[in-house]
Amino acid sequence: MVPGRPARYYGDGMGRHDERETAAALGRDALAYADTLYSLARYLTGNPADAEDLVQETYVHALRAAGQFMPGTNLKAWLFRILRNTFISLYRHQRLNPTVGGLDTVDPVAQGPALEHLLLDDVEMDRLRKIVGDEIEQALMTLSEEARTVILLDLEGLTEVEVAEVVGCAVGTVKSRLARARAALRLKLKDYAR
Amino acid sequence: MNCDDVRPELLDYQRGRLPADVEARVRAHLEGCAACARTEAAERTLTELLEQRLPQHAAPLALKRRLAAEWPDALASPTPSWWQRWGRPLMPAMAVAAVLLTVLPLYYQQRGARALSAGLVTEAVNDHLRILSSQHPLDVETGDFHRVKPWFEGRLDFAPRVSFLGDADFPLRGGAVGYFLDRKAAVFVFNRRLHAVSLFVFRADGLPWPARELTPLGNARAYTASTRGFNAVLWRSGELGYALVSDVDAAELAQLAAKVAGGA
Repeated sequence: MVPGRPARYYGDGMGRHDERETAAALGRDALAYADTLYSLARYLTGNPADAEDLVQETYVHALRAAGQFMPGTNLKAWLFRILRNTFISLYRHQRLNPTVGGLDTVDPVAQGPALEHLLLDDVEMDRLRKIVGDEIEQALMTLSEEARTVILLDLEGLTEVEVAEVVGCAVGTVKSRLARARAALRLKLKDYAR
Repeated sequence: MNCDDVRPELLDYQRGRLPADVEARVRAHLEGCAACARTEAAERTLTELLEQRLPQHAAPLALKRRLAAEWPDALASPTPSWWQRWGRPLMPAMAVAAVLLTVLPLYYQQRGARALSAGLVTEAVNDHLRILSSQHPLDVETGDFHRVKPWFEGRLDFAPRVSFLGDADFPLRGGAVGYFLDRKAAVFVFNRRLHAVSLFVFRADGLPWPARELTPLGNARAYTASTRGFNAVLWRSGELGYALVSDVDAAELAQLAAKVAGGA
């Protein structure tokens, strides 16, 4: 495939006019996710300036890869994957991420007993419900980037298969990573709920 | 299934993603295992917290404008020589950018409105789930409508206008005082075979009622949506708002909505 002449989305037999129309349609579809992508970028980078750069860079990459997008598949998931890959290539080396190491580096044995305390009683559940948005954001930001990512992608309604494609791992890994990430978040939130 | 088998399935269970037989086995385990039931409730609470309270950061308008302007330009950028060779002016791309700039605000406005409406639906489903998972879901448990309705007197700051008494298809199970977002709600629970249907009646003012994608319902216009395997019908009549939620199918719920809205 010739770079810049994406075959799948635009079709090789299309005229220039149709091609541009279709491109504009893909553009509109993709731009409708600007808020969603920016919000995820904020939670990945932790600050507005880096989030803006990340989203802008994501759209540049998306545009170049437009031909690889299969119509009928989840455009939002596709854009998330580009954003995540862009984030990793741009920022991971710089260690902008405050948390060192991923979730998978946490010793599961050390987490075991702590998680047992998560059997909340009704009083604790009521306290949890009173936690405000900023506290949830703070708690989320203390988790590793992988943990934040799977929690947020799951929240965006992506299926486990789609999350696996975004983060580039096996579906089974997503399942366990999400379970551990949410357990870790619940543990953090317990501190705020006191 | 034991606890170790059930725990990893809880999220899929809550999202209605499990095959019917596995779902039934998870449900059976939850009914008999207090520890897993608590974990399930904690997961549900966490989802609620994240869905309702986690701040969503909106992209700055300047960024959106930049993106809208760059898309058609960037499309042409991998082959700059093409432009030079053919000498095609940039005007068509500029025109597309101008169209995008005009269309986008409308697009975002519509999308924002949809997100707010989705918030109402999410709230209705969560309230319905709270009723189902509560130990004592109903304050007044009787199929006699004339005992349920007077029971609300003095317990709410409005009179819930509902005149559908329940019938053979949708027998009334009882009522309770609940909350819908920031306000008190009268909750009527009806049965549909083995399923529960919750009807929330609350003050309608100040809520982001959807203005699009409405369908006629009696004298009102209703917003129908489904999320997480639940169907919801929302409408307003005068000063009151109505939300009907259940996991029965959309057609059956519409049937009940017509009965409630017709008599209200």
